[in-house]
Amino acid sequence: MMGPGLSYDDTPPFSAPVRFFLTAPLFGVVAGLTLLFGGEILVSRWTPGALAITHLFAAGFMLQVMLGALLQVMPVVAGASMPAPLRIAGVTHVAMTLGTAGLAYGLGAGAPDVLLGGAVLLVGGLFVFLSAAALGLSRGARTGNNTRTPRDLRMAFAGLVVTAALGFSLVLVLTRGLALPVPLPTVVNLHAGWGWMGWAAVLLAAASWVVVPMFQITAAYPQRFTTLWAPAVTATLVLWTLAEYFAIDTARFIAIIALGLLGAGYAGTTLYLQAHSRRSKPDTPFLAFREAMYAALAGVLVLVISLWSDADWWPILAGVLILHGGFGGTITAMLYKIVPFLAWLHLTQAGLKAPNMKKLLPDTPIRRQLRVRSASLATLCLAVFVPILAPVAGIVLAVEFGWLFANLLRVVRARRDAAKAAVPRPGSHAST
Amino acid sequence: MNTISELMTHDHRDCDGIFARAEELASDGDWADAAAALKKFADALNAHFDAEESTLFPAFEQATGMTQGPTMVMRHEHQNMRDTLAALQYALDKQDADDFAGEAETLLIMMQQHNMKEESVIYPMLDSRLPGDEQERLSASVGKHLVEARAA
Repeated sequence: MMGPGLSYDDTPPFSAPVRFFLTAPLFGVVAGLTLLFGGEILVSRWTPGALAITHLFAAGFMLQVMLGALLQVMPVVAGASMPAPLRIAGVTHVAMTLGTAGLAYGLGAGAPDVLLGGAVLLVGGLFVFLSAAALGLSRGARTGNNTRTPRDLRMAFAGLVVTAALGFSLVLVLTRGLALPVPLPTVVNLHAGWGWMGWAAVLLAAASWVVVPMFQITAAYPQRFTTLWAPAVTATLVLWTLAEYFAIDTARFIAIIALGLLGAGYAGTTLYLQAHSRRSKPDTPFLAFREAMYAALAGVLVLVISLWSDADWWPILAGVLILHGGFGGTITAMLYKIVPFLAWLHLTQAGLKAPNMKKLLPDTPIRRQLRVRSASLATLCLAVFVPILAPVAGIVLAVEFGWLFANLLRVVRARRDAAKAAVPRPGSHAST
Repeated sequence: MNTISELMTHDHRDCDGIFARAEELASDGDWADAAAALKKFADALNAHFDAEESTLFPAFEQATGMTQGPTMVMRHEHQNMRDTLAALQYALDKQDADDFAGEAETLLIMMQQHNMKEESVIYPMLDSRLPGDEQERLSASVGKHLVEARAA
């Protein structure tokens, strides 16, 4: 029989996930430059620039990292490995990079053909990736796993499919005059809601169930909470979608509040667990993760305010806090753990002596980059109310992601240098 | 009666706790107490590895017929962790806080991704593939071994 995906052959080659991790911050840099040169982008969520930046961030940064991480983590948490990971990574990475660039340019510059081409590439790349992931998961070990992670990974994939389908239909509305049964802003809201909660939050939560207790040495999330959270999010999204379709205002309102409470429940529980970590001196990425949880809580609060107020800035501020503050913060924190570990793992598996994690990437550059990250979030929030600050926020954002890229590149170089030095790891051949 | 999953997962968390204590003491520069905590951690870790290598993995191999697969990888990872533990001990002997922190970080991540694999694949397969009385016998003997090793 086939073994569960634990063997070394199941670890994808270093370059498979790393290409996603290195490309992702570059989209953040482009988002910053768009803000710098794009004028008063942040005055409304409907400006072409705001749409472009949102997609540079969501599809360019978040989605790239998440796919790269999934390639790596599926064998570990779900006992499932992707078939031909290097080829799948190659095809999806190119398609998604070009696709995201086309999508963002098409939205920002109002170029319908580029927009459609970008969307086709993006959706095509996702289709290849998700098919391979589904195949891997279906062949994964049936283990009666004691975490909810594999089930929640599947739900996140379903959320991504819905997000992509809604997004693609919107592109067809804009480029081919497709007629929708509901008003366009409603479909945009559903697209964003499914993307934020159905895909990104469910995936983040699925990772958190495992990552937070293990790496931050906290108690486990309450079992009932992890059992119910992702299904509750998905069910609420379905109810919300139906409420929008049938234009039932009360149900719509309740569903949005419920989604906010679910998001806040996740962030609040995570903060509670982190506050009781047995690692009494939290490291820098850990602090960034906590900051991200606070930003997410603030984002949910602002989102609720936006239900009562018509002011343009609330949805933008919520977007900044949730996307940049919440998802951006957790993803950055995780990258700082994942990339050095992968470098270490691949060196060790090659039988070479690997420098320890802090030699591959010391604390100081991480701490400095994360300070810029906090400044970037603060400036973005201010720029929502003071449009003249938008270019400043753009510069800080570009520096933040440029620095993240430089830090990650440093790890890749350290790995290459260590591989060149090629000292066999002492004791690596000793038998036990 | 605990399942093998519950018993071994609980022991993973216990080891994590002792590890966190050693890490904290070293970062405070309390090298004497850190040495004692690291010794306690090393004992707990080695007892856990021994229980798996001498009892649980052979049972897994027999029950599943997989002798060159998952358990071989797990044994190899144990060796990697023993090596890193030795590097951690060396940093402690030198009282080098930076090296200690770096090796500790490496060991923690290595340990946790290893635990994830065991907790999501190896232990559940033992729980589902072994007959009930065999599970009970293994769990009792492994539990006893772990307790005795701590007490020693």
